[in-house]
Amino acid sequence: MAEYANLVRRAVGQLRGHGGVRGFFLQLFRVNDVKTGTLVGVDKYGNKYYEDERSFFGRHRWVIYTTEMNGKKTLWEVDGSMVPAEWHRWLHSITDDPPTTHPPEPKKFLAEVHQINVSGSTQQYVPYSTTRKKIHEWVPPSAGAQ
Amino acid sequence: MIVRVRDVVSKYVLRKAFCDFIYFFPVPKVRTTATAAASNLLEVFVDGVPVMVEPGTTVLQACEKVGIQIPRFCYHERLSVAGNCRMCLVEIEKVPKPVAACAMPVMKGWNILTNSPKTRTAREGVMEFLLANHPLDCPICDQGGECDLQDQSMQFGSDRSRFTEGKRAVEDKNIGPLIKTIMTRCIQCTRCVRFASEIAGVEDLGTTGRGNDLQIGTYVEKMFMSELSGNVIDICPVGALTSKPYAFTSRPWETRKTETIDVLDAVGSNIIVSTRGGEVMRILPRLNEDINEEWISDKTRFAYDGLKRQRLTEPMVKNQAGQLVPATWEDALTRVAGAMQGVEGREMAAVVGGLVDAEALLSLKDLLNRFNSENLCTEEVFPMAGAGSDLRSNYLLNTKIAGIEEADLLLLVGTNPRYEAPLFNARIRKSWLHNELQVSLLGEKVDLSYTYDHLGDSAEILQEIASGAHPFAQVLATAKHPVVVVGSGCLQREDGAAIMAAASTIAQNARVSSQVEESWKVLNVLHRVASQVAALDLGYKTGVEAIRKNPPKLLFLLGADAGCITRQDLPKDSFIIYQGHHGDVGAPMADVILPGAAYTEKCSTYVNTEGRAQQTKVAVTAPGMAREDWKIIRAISELAGVPLPYDTIDEVRDRLAEVSPNLVRYDDVEEANYFKQANELSKGVNQAVLTSPLVPSQLTVKDFYMTDPISRASQTMAKCVKAVTEGAQAVDEPAIC
Repeated sequence: MAEYANLVRRAVGQLRGHGGVRGFFLQLFRVNDVKTGTLVGVDKYGNKYYEDERSFFGRHRWVIYTTEMNGKKTLWEVDGSMVPAEWHRWLHSITDDPPTTHPPEPKKFLAEVHQINVSGSTQQYVPYSTTRKKIHEWVPPSAGAQ
Repeated sequence: MIVRVRDVVSKYVLRKAFCDFIYFFPVPKVRTTATAAASNLLEVFVDGVPVMVEPGTTVLQACEKVGIQIPRFCYHERLSVAGNCRMCLVEIEKVPKPVAACAMPVMKGWNILTNSPKTRTAREGVMEFLLANHPLDCPICDQGGECDLQDQSMQFGSDRSRFTEGKRAVEDKNIGPLIKTIMTRCIQCTRCVRFASEIAGVEDLGTTGRGNDLQIGTYVEKMFMSELSGNVIDICPVGALTSKPYAFTSRPWETRKTETIDVLDAVGSNIIVSTRGGEVMRILPRLNEDINEEWISDKTRFAYDGLKRQRLTEPMVKNQAGQLVPATWEDALTRVAGAMQGVEGREMAAVVGGLVDAEALLSLKDLLNRFNSENLCTEEVFPMAGAGSDLRSNYLLNTKIAGIEEADLLLLVGTNPRYEAPLFNARIRKSWLHNELQVSLLGEKVDLSYTYDHLGDSAEILQEIASGAHPFAQVLATAKHPVVVVGSGCLQREDGAAIMAAASTIAQNARVSSQVEESWKVLNVLHRVASQVAALDLGYKTGVEAIRKNPPKLLFLLGADAGCITRQDLPKDSFIIYQGHHGDVGAPMADVILPGAAYTEKCSTYVNTEGRAQQTKVAVTAPGMAREDWKIIRAISELAGVPLPYDTIDEVRDRLAEVSPNLVRYDDVEEANYFKQANELSKGVNQAVLTSPLVPSQLTVKDFYMTDPISRASQTMAKCVKAVTEGAQAVDEPAIC
């Protein structure tokens, strides 16, 4: 009987923890998971970092991504690279000290505004070709020269 | 440098002894053309297999008849027999010594042993001597993979070397920007020397020294100056003569070969385009006995680098500032279609250039006809007075290229076939050399590589011959198979119709007096550009005079790069569309540029000067956004609201067949034989000839290299022009190996 009561308590906790039925389903569709934990901190972009000591190692820390970051709509298109450097170390268990309690030493190589990975977008880096061109195209004479 | 005397002596003695032994047999001078009647055949045996051959057949040819290939280096079917490489030694039963198969005529009852121990030993010995002085640089040799010496040493050579001496080294020669020489590799087969003196007709190459010191060269440092020079690369059995532009670029097994045809002159030589990774690596000739035999001209062979430069790769549209800027196909085509809809049919005209295929010519004509315009002109002029292009025999090389070999008298009018159609000239030379063809030239005196009778350079002489007043008329009257060839160059003049009429009369008179069979054709026109015959077949007007007189508001230039029409000839607000593959003369003055495909990039039809329809094949895809020409025109027609009724190349060809069925009878020459009627029509031409001399546009070899947008874009061809004018040293590049 006790385990059924526990189940109901967890279900209620998950519904409540995500802000009702709507929030519950939003979370389910965005993350495919509805687990709850303690909110450790929120970074300046709005990504929320959770921890749940009851989960096993590797699933005990997670992030709920913000819905808009650096002008990009990230409600459905989330990317692992949205986590800034200071939270990355905590999230990946490199350290147990979250930047909320242990703010990182300011370094000049740390970005002021964290950049999302641009691969696949128009801003991606394309290395220039080092081979010679197979076809040299004609360049029209400039209008002024005529 | 210390040379061990013993080594030198031993090698010399060895070679001397061998040579004495070999040259015991005299080398008979035998022409390979068999003349005897079929009745007196000889029976010989090849490895016991009986075969009937004509007297005078060589041992090598007899073996070939039963399908046995004798190894050879110096022997070449189209060249005279030299018999100096000794690779073709075979044993003949009851003959004491091995004989050179290429030079020895067979005798009755001989049993040729092509695989006996004695034959094999002889081959192995010859191969050992050849390899004694041949460098072991196959890994860096451009001939690697297509080298006769490599192949035959694997097949007939020894599996080990007894050679311990040093190898002879020969200094390389600079013989121009096309042919790279690595003379240490030379095995002195003298094929190149014989090619130069017999086929090309230039005595530039020769041998100096004897025995071990024999060297091939130009005697003094100079350029091998011939329009057919590239062919020595093909006939060289080793890597002594290789292609300079192709050096170290690819190996034969890496390339994909596409059998196609050449369009840089009106001959339509058959070629193989070798490509690798979507890039044309080189162009080689393909055998076609009716057209180019196995040779191609230097322009055909080396202008391919022009296909990679100055290309139109994306549509361009002129912006407000008058600058051509890249655009999408949608924008460019909509602009063209809009402009076409905006003008009336009579304000619309098209000019087509020399490299356009029949499919594009047809679709452009169909498109303009939909707009009720008939102003479609070719850049080349052909006189329309008299029979004009109504009778097909009036504008073709009716005798055919191979037909020249049957002729006994040839009159060339205002042409320089050596540079306008090098392979046709090679045929004339062949006939001059072997069949005693008499050649007469009317026009500027040029070097044709054979002797000819110069009749003068005035067109009035032509009329004198036509009227019978000139002594040449009597010579012509006694000829058995006379041929008159009118160069299209002299028809560009204002008195073109009179020249054509006079030539037609001369031909008709010669035809009547020579009493030849009906099928023999006398009158010929030698065209200079590949598209002309197809354009005339499809009913294009010739010359841009009509456009000059009646300037259109919209001008469609289809590969028109001869500069016949400029912006100054048109009203200020006229709209010019250029469609083609090179940014040459036509593109800069256009308002819209539509990038088309060059001849290696499309499957299309070209008709050569004989009237022979041939197909090009797709060797590489067109660069960038460029598309096949007929497809572009089809797309314009769709947007302009007058869709043409064909969507595939097959449907276009059905339409071609509807207009002119000969255009799709590939590799065939459609007979055309209305000379009498054409001559009667030409009598109506009332035009006086000009007094100025008949001067063909290509006089010397430097005019030959750059004649069309592709060869004008080619750096190799530019180097050739520089080498011809300033000497081979001017373009000397640092040797890599």
